[in-house]
Amino acid sequence: MEIKGIKRIDENRLEVPSDYKPGMRTKGIIYLNSLLEQELEVQAIEQVANVATLPGIVGASLAMPDIHTGYGFPIGGVAGFDIKEGIISPGGVGYDINCGVRLLRSSLTRKDIEPKIKELVSALYNEIPSGVGSKGKLRLGTEESKKVLLKGAVWAVGEGYGTKSDLERIESGGCLEGADPDLISQKAYERGRAQQGTLGSGNHFLEIQYIDQVYDDDIANIMGIFKNQITIMIHTGSRGFGHQICTDFIEVMEKAARKYNIDLPDKELACAPFSSQEGKDYFSAMKAAANYAWANRQCITHWTREIFQKFLHIPPTTLGMSIVYDVAHNIAKVEEHIVNGKKIKLVIHRKGATRAFPPGHPELPDIYRQIGQPVLIPGDMGRASFVLVGTQKGMAESFGSTCHGAGRVLSRHQAIKKAKGRAIWREMEDKGIIVRAAGRETLAEEMSEAYKDVSAVVDVVHNAGISTRVARLKPLGVIKG
Amino acid sequence: MDFEVIDISGDVGLRAYGSSIKEAFVNAGIGMFSLITDISRIEPKDEIILDITGDSFEFLLVNYLNELIFQFDAYGFTACKIEVLELTENIIKAKVMGENFDPSRHAQDLLIKAATYHNLKIEKVDGSFIVEVIFDI
Repeated sequence: MEIKGIKRIDENRLEVPSDYKPGMRTKGIIYLNSLLEQELEVQAIEQVANVATLPGIVGASLAMPDIHTGYGFPIGGVAGFDIKEGIISPGGVGYDINCGVRLLRSSLTRKDIEPKIKELVSALYNEIPSGVGSKGKLRLGTEESKKVLLKGAVWAVGEGYGTKSDLERIESGGCLEGADPDLISQKAYERGRAQQGTLGSGNHFLEIQYIDQVYDDDIANIMGIFKNQITIMIHTGSRGFGHQICTDFIEVMEKAARKYNIDLPDKELACAPFSSQEGKDYFSAMKAAANYAWANRQCITHWTREIFQKFLHIPPTTLGMSIVYDVAHNIAKVEEHIVNGKKIKLVIHRKGATRAFPPGHPELPDIYRQIGQPVLIPGDMGRASFVLVGTQKGMAESFGSTCHGAGRVLSRHQAIKKAKGRAIWREMEDKGIIVRAAGRETLAEEMSEAYKDVSAVVDVVHNAGISTRVARLKPLGVIKG
Repeated sequence: MDFEVIDISGDVGLRAYGSSIKEAFVNAGIGMFSLITDISRIEPKDEIILDITGDSFEFLLVNYLNELIFQFDAYGFTACKIEVLELTENIIKAKVMGENFDPSRHAQDLLIKAATYHNLKIEKVDGSFIVEVIFDI
């Protein structure tokens, strides 16, 4: 399929030239092979071009191979802005701030779990709140809420949800410094009060998986993963707390864009100079939401460990359920990158994209310094997920960024229609996967046929060399909202 | 028809109709709640009054829907009936009737994060009003 105005750079990348539309300050680069190019949406290309018009953009406006039409930025969008001359935009982060993925490893293997998988899934489903209108087990008063948003996973560990050794295996140690509780609206506090330690709904999940294939033995070894090992993958974000913060600040940014005379090709690209008060306020509030999400995944980790221990009658040391890593895929970070041979501080926006730092990066914990940062890429509930690792090439080319998952191919309505008359739970069970979901139509909406195959997305980033495959994981049990 | 779903791949949208703009706003609100749950099971036991401002009808629509999302997400308040008391380009006052969401009685459908400005439309067509809004879910 030939799309007007864009050209192929190599087998893994397309270029959106800087004259694709007026106002572009730089070009766009979309990581995509010719197979996935067939599903590329014109509106998504438009969004890559729109991001290229924003002030202070450094390098190209990037998009990963899971590119999809989003709000303002495309999903899969990555863009870096100069911290002095550039902007920050809530649209470049997403409504679900720090929606992200955590992978837990264990000392268990498939045969330890498979005979009891149904009961284990039920136990997890009953213990970890999920679904529309669900409330968590924790109730945060105002003072406690402030501690959560200030300290993130550090707060959770302090409350007994996990141990200190968990923290170094979380991006940014599970806490971004500089959140200001006074910048958070009362509405955000109200929404966040009863949602700490909840999964949410939609494409969020908790999965019991097994390592089906290892592509790099040495790296897998350092990550503590091995074939047939039981792993847990948790996909959730900052819940209503983060959603409200994004809603609040889109309005602030819309006014700010007009105040600072920033031409917006799209209202959802509302932004302000990073150095402005509005920019600083949003960044601080975004950190608060990011911290809430890391606390959330930490609480869920703790309860998951407790259930496994109780159910299998084994102590923590036998279970060995430690964190492989935890990544954010909707976030903005201040990072140092080398551009045209010079070190420069940038505000990197990753919206539906994951950080993938290379070996040697100072931000990595000691255990991973030699191999690079683990990257966790969830697939749909019927197929596979992947563990990748960051590379020097990725650091040089894509600001140390890679994809985040697979996009949908069917709308919810189309998926529900396709699932009519079928018992998706039984089809999954026949495949050896036990599923529980709170929502009426969740299983239909989330079935495999509704999604692209994530391995096609992973192929592109692996072949482009911006992150490489370490292991493939397959689901055994899935809980959804 | 009062409203219909706009079918898009990643999220969900709503197209609401009304013979007046007030009616279109009512149907947008009810339509949104019908995405969240089966509103035929919701009873008008409680009532809240909304008082929302905005710089234009478009901003007003998004702010009004986001307020309803907030009421649901923070307090579980689920609407089954909306009466718009006042609507100008800058203000909407509405009486919203419904009850508290109970997952054991009420259907769990879509979790709506926010109403967005993406492809937002408020149009007058042949004397009637059509509003279109996309929700991040």
